Amino acid sequence: MLFYLKLAWRNIFRNKRRTIISGLAIAIGLAALIYTDALYKGMEINIIDNITKSFIADGQIHRKGFREKQETELTINNLDKVVKKLENDPLVKRFSLRTYSFSMISSSNNVSSVMLIGVNPEKEKSISQIDDAIIKGDYFKEGKENQIIIGKKLAEILEVEIGDRIVVTVAQAHSSELSQELFRVGGIYYFNNPQLDKGMAFIKINKARKMLNIGNGAHEIAIKLIKGVDRKHIDNLSFWKKYSVDDNEALSWMGLFPQMKMVFEMTGLGTAIVGLILFAIVALVIVNSLFMSIYERMFEFGVLRAIGTRPFGAFKMIVLESGALGILSVSIGIVLGFLVTYIFSKIGIDYTGIEMMGVTIKNLIYPVLTVEQFVIYPIVVFLITLLIGIYPGIYAAKLKPAEALRKSL
Amino acid sequence: MSEKKLIIKTENLKKDYKEDGVVVHAIRGIDLTVEEGEFSAIVGPSGCGKTTLLNLISGLDTPDEGKVWLSGKLISDMSGKELSDFRRDNIGFIFQAYNLIPVLTVEENIEYIMLLQGVPKEERHKRVLEILDAVKLSGLENRRPTQLSGGQQQRVAIARAMVSNPKIILADEPTANLDSKTGSELLDMMAELNEKTGMTFLFSTHDKMVMERAKRVIVLKDGQIIDKSEIDIV
Repeated sequence: MLFYLKLAWRNIFRNKRRTIISGLAIAIGLAALIYTDALYKGMEINIIDNITKSFIADGQIHRKGFREKQETELTINNLDKVVKKLENDPLVKRFSLRTYSFSMISSSNNVSSVMLIGVNPEKEKSISQIDDAIIKGDYFKEGKENQIIIGKKLAEILEVEIGDRIVVTVAQAHSSELSQELFRVGGIYYFNNPQLDKGMAFIKINKARKMLNIGNGAHEIAIKLIKGVDRKHIDNLSFWKKYSVDDNEALSWMGLFPQMKMVFEMTGLGTAIVGLILFAIVALVIVNSLFMSIYERMFEFGVLRAIGTRPFGAFKMIVLESGALGILSVSIGIVLGFLVTYIFSKIGIDYTGIEMMGVTIKNLIYPVLTVEQFVIYPIVVFLITLLIGIYPGIYAAKLKPAEALRKSL
Repeated sequence: MSEKKLIIKTENLKKDYKEDGVVVHAIRGIDLTVEEGEFSAIVGPSGCGKTTLLNLISGLDTPDEGKVWLSGKLISDMSGKELSDFRRDNIGFIFQAYNLIPVLTVEENIEYIMLLQGVPKEERHKRVLEILDAVKLSGLENRRPTQLSGGQQQRVAIARAMVSNPKIILADEPTANLDSKTGSELLDMMAELNEKTGMTFLFSTHDKMVMERAKRVIVLKDGQIIDKSEIDIV
């Protein structure tokens, strides 16, 4: 076997130019696969970060039916018990209570319907980072209960600026009686997401509770889990089941954003498509290269068969040549793939502002290097080169010695 | 007087080829016997069927009709694998050119057959050195074929053909690509080896030098062996 390996290795360098071209084609394909996979992994992290560091957080608790009906009466059951449980849960880093209600918001110039969200300013700050998105004014000043924070787009519609007065009208729970309050614009935020910038307004939760007449209730608890939790597979945690009791439902961000599952499946499909294209290239390159090599050495194969090489010996020679080309290509591909991916993993790729399935990319995407990219993909490419070598190998094995000796002289 | 054993026997051997849709009768019923230790040549003009006959005798090609016995074994009925093993152990081949694997050294080229036979490494090396000495190429075992002259390459081919002590050496135009001096030296060497070892040599050639040295000349014309009286006509 060692002899055949030596022979295969030397044979692939008989036509250096062809070997280099074939090797580079496979290497570039492998590098592209490694890079694509790293990019998709980086995109996933970026998207998950965008979601979990936004209003969605890692997950939320609602009263069952609230998400579908958005009825003010559907506040979380046994809120105090749930809050206490969350405070003592080792998986929970922080959480924030929210109220929701449809509201009519009017300025002296215009009127608009928005989702009015009551938040605890201090707790909310560390969850959804609305404070970071403030572009004008302040994020809830202490003592000022009638402050409202609105989006840039909404401010443009209402034609209001910081300090301007706004009237908010909501329907109270149970009675559906209208409740009106006067607010002053305290801050204007910009999330670069039309839905958020136009359709939401934030007030302090205690004010909201009073307006909605829901006592100390809340419609939503946004939860941030501790570091180290696998956020891509967050759904697998038993945590959500634990809080889905007393007619409440606890859902991870993945449960709240089910379309993201599809996005991730699509990225996996993307990698598979790149992989398939690579394997098709590998197949064509190797088959072409090996057949050219066989035709060039037809007489040599005739001699080898004549002096006693069995058909399987000829087969082995070609498959090992294919494997030798595979090893060479895979080695170059690993180096190339690492260099390109490493460079981009440091400098990042700018897709900021692009919206994907309702998630706007806010930060640079950094491709993620993983061990599997440099172990599994090269092994698969190498095995494929071996497998593809079988076809020309069978051809070489079936060569009739007399015909092979006749063909090239 | 002891009777010599037959090493080759063919019976009504026939082989046709199709070339551009036309059937060519390459071998038309050849009955041939060759005894052990012969130094014989199959001669005849180009296209008379010399190489085809050699291919049929060695099992490189299969006859359309007839039978071939080599060393007492009916080889015309053997499978591909059986034939490969039989050739490996019983026949040495010398072709007119491109005999050697260019990526292997002289030693590797020669030891290849022994490797197929499963001869241990030390034994292989010993026999390579011995045979290189016999073909007067000692010290060149680490050279690649491209670093040798045409004559030296043919000597390596002879060494490779003989190293496993086959019963017969089949040489297809071994001097065709050599100048007359080198060709003559090579033929002298093969004749000497034939004398020393008693190994059978069967050439296919139209080289006068081979015919001069051959102890028996088999004349082929249009795929048939003809009488010696017809040699001049050929």
